[in-house]
Amino acid sequence: MMRREHFFVLVTLCLCVLGVIAVYSVDPLRDEGFGPKSFFGRQILWNAVGWALFLLFRFSDFQWLFRRSWLWYLLSVLSLGAVLVFGESDETGARRWLFSRSVQPSEFAKLALLFFLSSYLSTNRDELDFWSLLVKSAFFVAVPTLLVFLQPDLGTALVLGVLWFGALFLGGWHRRKLGLLLGLVAGLSPLSWFIMKDYQRKRILAFLDPWQDPLGSGYNVVQSQIAIGSGGFLGQGWLSGKQTQLRFLPARYTDFIFAAFCEQFGFVGGMVLLTLFILFFWIVLEAAQRVGNLEERFFASLFGILFLFQVGINVGMNLGIAPVTGIPLPFVSYGGSSLLVHLAGAGMIARLIWRTEQEERERWI
Amino acid sequence: MWNERMEERIRQRVAAALWIGVALFVVLSVRLWYLAVLWGEWFRERSERNRVRVVFLETLRGNIYDRRGVCLAEDVPRFRLVFLVGSSDEELVMKRVREVLGRDIAFSLRERAPGELVLLEDLSLEDVVKIEENSERLPGVLVEAYPARKYRDGEVAASLLGYVGKVSPEELKALGKMGYRNEDRIGKSGVESFYESFLRGEEGYRRVEVDALGRVVQVLDFRSPRFRYSLQLTLDWELQRACYEALGRRNGVVLVGDPATGEILAFVSKPSFDPNLFSRGLSLKEWLDLLEQKSNPLLARPTQALYPPGSLFKILIALAALEEQVVTSRESFFCPGYLEYGNRKYFCWKRGGHGRVTFEEAIAESCNVVFYTLGLRLGPERIARYARMFGFGQDAHLDLSGVKTGFFPTPEWKRETLKEAWYPGDTMNLSIGQGYLLVTPLEMYLLLCAVANRGKVYDPHVLWRVLDEDGRVVKEVKPSLRRTIALRSQTWDTVIRGMEKVVTQGTGFNCRGLPVRLAAKTGTAQNPHGKEHSWFGGFFPSDRPKFVFLVLVEHGGDGSGEATLVARKVIEWILQNRGA
Repeated sequence: MMRREHFFVLVTLCLCVLGVIAVYSVDPLRDEGFGPKSFFGRQILWNAVGWALFLLFRFSDFQWLFRRSWLWYLLSVLSLGAVLVFGESDETGARRWLFSRSVQPSEFAKLALLFFLSSYLSTNRDELDFWSLLVKSAFFVAVPTLLVFLQPDLGTALVLGVLWFGALFLGGWHRRKLGLLLGLVAGLSPLSWFIMKDYQRKRILAFLDPWQDPLGSGYNVVQSQIAIGSGGFLGQGWLSGKQTQLRFLPARYTDFIFAAFCEQFGFVGGMVLLTLFILFFWIVLEAAQRVGNLEERFFASLFGILFLFQVGINVGMNLGIAPVTGIPLPFVSYGGSSLLVHLAGAGMIARLIWRTEQEERERWI
Repeated sequence: MWNERMEERIRQRVAAALWIGVALFVVLSVRLWYLAVLWGEWFRERSERNRVRVVFLETLRGNIYDRRGVCLAEDVPRFRLVFLVGSSDEELVMKRVREVLGRDIAFSLRERAPGELVLLEDLSLEDVVKIEENSERLPGVLVEAYPARKYRDGEVAASLLGYVGKVSPEELKALGKMGYRNEDRIGKSGVESFYESFLRGEEGYRRVEVDALGRVVQVLDFRSPRFRYSLQLTLDWELQRACYEALGRRNGVVLVGDPATGEILAFVSKPSFDPNLFSRGLSLKEWLDLLEQKSNPLLARPTQALYPPGSLFKILIALAALEEQVVTSRESFFCPGYLEYGNRKYFCWKRGGHGRVTFEEAIAESCNVVFYTLGLRLGPERIARYARMFGFGQDAHLDLSGVKTGFFPTPEWKRETLKEAWYPGDTMNLSIGQGYLLVTPLEMYLLLCAVANRGKVYDPHVLWRVLDEDGRVVKEVKPSLRRTIALRSQTWDTVIRGMEKVVTQGTGFNCRGLPVRLAAKTGTAQNPHGKEHSWFGGFFPSDRPKFVFLVLVEHGGDGSGEATLVARKVIEWILQNRGA
């Protein structure tokens, strides 16, 4: 029987390969060939770096990361602050990058917060389910979240917020407290309408009824659904989807890569991707259940939650059942920062799986 | 507090998270199924609409030929400059077009179809070559050929052939279902309009694939526009031309035809206009100029203008009087220059009087006094009955659009409309073709045909046959007998003899000495707006008529003048070139 770790590596690898295939298919510079000039070339390079990180964390003990979680936290807060001061803007005017648009600190902030939360909660395990810890952790999460929100990057801010809520959920807070929190968020969310930027409001409206303005604010959602729908059951074949090739689909290599993939490979292709995602998630959470260490359990399950939430929001918006927020599809979307973060995380999960397997075997012996 | 229970709870939470993930997976899969499989077809169609743009190309119209195969109207290619919006920078392209053509140009910038701007129309070949040579520098600009109607010597047969123009919003509303589009051409008058359904061809199209920015990726397919049918008319182009020239600078009408078949051989209306102007697209000023000219060149005079027939109408009175036996061919009359009726004098055109005249001489001399007398003997009801028999005031069944009918007055009409009784004076005016009576030249032409053919009247027609793309005859117009007017043969003989005498010894003296037996009648139509209109109509050879002709010269003075001179030229031309 295949070892769980190998299966996990296989699933991750499949996702990365499909990602490269998808990026290639929408690459306007694909004639440039391999190398840093084309998008898929760069994606392959990022994959190489990412898999190096994967192996690094797979074969080295990463306990030191937990021990210095405060450092990562402070570094990410600092870099997010730097983005607001020195950062470079993208086409929409949002400041998200450092170092001539090569590093997206908000991606790394996800990982930093992951370590920080799992380490913070597990060291304060006696206070789990206490209001005081809830408030303190809320404060620590709020700082980077606010910085990301100011970029503005609503999607990543949402991810960080969900990460915190996931931590409370996995940290065993009582149902009533969580319910109260959710109620509070739901009750206050209408107020957020007033602090949203205009384009963000349009996105919400477009999500509610994209066909109202199919050429304006609803364009993304409409074109993405057209792409997925016209893919049909088996798809139109690699490199032949008209929505994608004629560039009707916006953000083809990042946010809407799922739609581009589905136009080419159809329902079947989409299901393959979704199945890989759910398998990945399943293995990660199973690893979280098996691991003995509370800190690592928090880490693994939070990583799973982070992954699931991003997949859910991204695929959901591609399918028109979630609002458009700039959240990339893990492993598949074009983009180095996201890929490195997720491959590094996957490397750590692989190590956890390997270690628990070792431990189980030793127990049997 | 950290304890076993807390640890167990955390374990449960992880398991719960797992099921949340599975639930999400199910939701996303169902939605994917819904979009890609259940609604796939619908979305695929959306995608098609996204990327495929169809541009319709103007249909070609069929040619129009004369009876000998001379091409009178055809579509010729013109060139226009089209800019595909979004394929490059508009301002830059316009600047470069100016550079390439080496002059300043006011671009029309008409949006012909979504995403296609017409920059320039009616390019010269020289300009086309310049554009093609520089096409590298002009991205998104293409030279497109489009058909334009070209008429041979436009003015000569304009009122018969008509002209074409862009379909108007009203026409579009009425014809939208028949596939007419905004930019289509449609026949606006004459043959072009009447035979629109034959002449209109099939439209072509160009389907192009465009990307999200409207850039043309490739031309998917192309169908060039075609015509389906060409028309061959009964018209004799050379004769038409001769008739047009015979009128010279005078305004008026010349009609020539074959009484035995109804074929129209010449159909001239003057002043005329150049239908080629319409194909180029008239400026508003040019159009208003045409409309406002007092002489009204757009009016097809043979079928649309109304005139009093004058003495030409005496032919009908003579026929009726003989047939009703209120006169015999041997009866003689005395014309003192007037007829006294009641306490009024009704004058003959010859103030000194014709003296003693026979019935036939009365026709030849066009003596008013005799016809007053005959009119009074017949009475208005009988005159009206004969007029109806000969088709006055009724549809002429000519295959042209916009054909009008004249007006024939009756006592009932006068009572109902003018609230006045019909006086014998009205009858006398009617007898010499004046008063309330109005006719179109075509109606008089048909009266002449009836006499020439001794009562058999064929529908006049200008279409001879319909040819398909390869020139095969798909339809031929056969003579169609409209009515047979059964009069005694002496009646016909007497009137025709009288009409021969018009030429040999009467008012038609200008046509004397032609090497053919000619039967004709002059007419002078009083015209309140100026000099009288001059009529002359007849047929030859009078024993077996092959040609019927009718000439009307506006303000031509009395009937023995201008019209007879024009007719003489026409007849001489026919005798020389067509034989009789």
